[in-house]
Amino acid sequence: MKNIYEVQSSNKIKTIVITVFFLVFSFFSIYILGTAFGYYAGYETGGLGYVGIALIFSGISTFISYYYSDRIVLTISGARPANSKEDKLFTSVVDNLCIGAGIPRPKLYIIQDSAPNAFATGRDPNHAVVCATTGLLEKLNRTELEGVMAHELSHVKNYDIRLMSIVSVMVGLIALLGDWFLRTTIHGRSRDSDNKAGAIILILGLIFAILSPIIAQLIQLSISRRREFMADATGVALTRQPQGLISALSKISADHEPLEAANKATAHLYIVSPFKAHNPERSRRVDWFSSMFNTHPPMPERIAALQKMA
Amino acid sequence: MIYLYIVLALILIWLISTYNFFVSSKARIKASIQEIGNQLKRQADLIPNLESSAKGYLTHEKGIMQLLSDARKLVSAGRDASKQISEVLPKLQILVESNPQLKADGVVTNLMDELRDTSDKVMYARRLMIDLTADYNVKRVSVPSNIVANMFKFDELKGLETAEIGDHMTVSSAEMKSPRINL
Repeated sequence: MKNIYEVQSSNKIKTIVITVFFLVFSFFSIYILGTAFGYYAGYETGGLGYVGIALIFSGISTFISYYYSDRIVLTISGARPANSKEDKLFTSVVDNLCIGAGIPRPKLYIIQDSAPNAFATGRDPNHAVVCATTGLLEKLNRTELEGVMAHELSHVKNYDIRLMSIVSVMVGLIALLGDWFLRTTIHGRSRDSDNKAGAIILILGLIFAILSPIIAQLIQLSISRRREFMADATGVALTRQPQGLISALSKISADHEPLEAANKATAHLYIVSPFKAHNPERSRRVDWFSSMFNTHPPMPERIAALQKMA
Repeated sequence: MIYLYIVLALILIWLISTYNFFVSSKARIKASIQEIGNQLKRQADLIPNLESSAKGYLTHEKGIMQLLSDARKLVSAGRDASKQISEVLPKLQILVESNPQLKADGVVTNLMDELRDTSDKVMYARRLMIDLTADYNVKRVSVPSNIVANMFKFDELKGLETAEIGDHMTVSSAEMKSPRINL
């Protein structure tokens, strides 16, 4: 039995630990790749130039998706704005929760899709967007909807979109560097280096070029899963009704309809992963392995964590 | 020497930010108390109006129901009088009624939704005040921010004033039975 405050602070500490580990790892692999690049190109400090170019590439693309995230996602998923007359339940529930959370009311949108799901995006609480599917609004009662919306507003309040953007800049940077390194070393003409240290660096660079993008992505996913737990806890701290979110989550996960508007780029935003498991009766070991590649923690774990708070 | 300056600068930054946390928390708590008042005022304005309009509709519908049952009585009285005719006719009676659509359930559901929404709003306004006060009070007593709190005499805030002893802190045997609902 843990109370909400303990859950929140342990989630906070775990996020910090993972993020620091991630930063150390990315700086280390960027350093290795940069140095290896330098050796390969023949001038030792020049490798940092490649890092700079990669940083600019990955930074610009993520900055655009971060700054315009609300508009991009809404265009992709084809959502329409909610109004307080037709979607009274939705708007009034979010209104009330915003009073409790002390944040401005986000823009509300509705996706025409019978699969129940919801997501939040936007760079800060002033530019936040919360989106729900028509399926969610039809299938959940008021208490359950409050639980889901409190979860989404917690993502907004905890600046999760900002955190995940910074992380994805680093992942993009490492992926770009690794990709360039592999391309130039495979397609470029090989030069004989009589320097032993240079050879080691080159081999290290090769290993890092292959492995570090995958590792960086795995850490990114584990941060994403940690933030889901955090949003569950913060949401319950707001509604004080874990049962509402528990029954909403079990309703949503029992629904096996896939969400048509979702794609891989927006999957991590949703309250429940929009891609449903194809075969629920898989062996445990496969489950553990595949869960490393998921944006969301497995549903039984989330429900168990919530039940501890109840 | 330069390290000393860096440490001093860091301490100063921490001091300023902690001080600012306390004063901004106080201002936010004040605003959240005003928000409670705001929501209570909305409730006080809204509920009597909703009540009277729902009442108006319900009495209107009650009148319709009265008229309907009167009409039914008349029809059945008429049927008794025409018994002789119906003996002649095959024993087949079709009663066609065209009732006006009654919307009382919708009106009552709407009223209940509004009532829940309003009390939720007031409850969440109080929740914000309670949360902000709790954050402030926790920071006030925990190390190291308590140094700043003591230095500038930031007092404990009461939040939602609730009696700490009384019936709500004890459970009587009557309250331990699960309630039955009789409609």
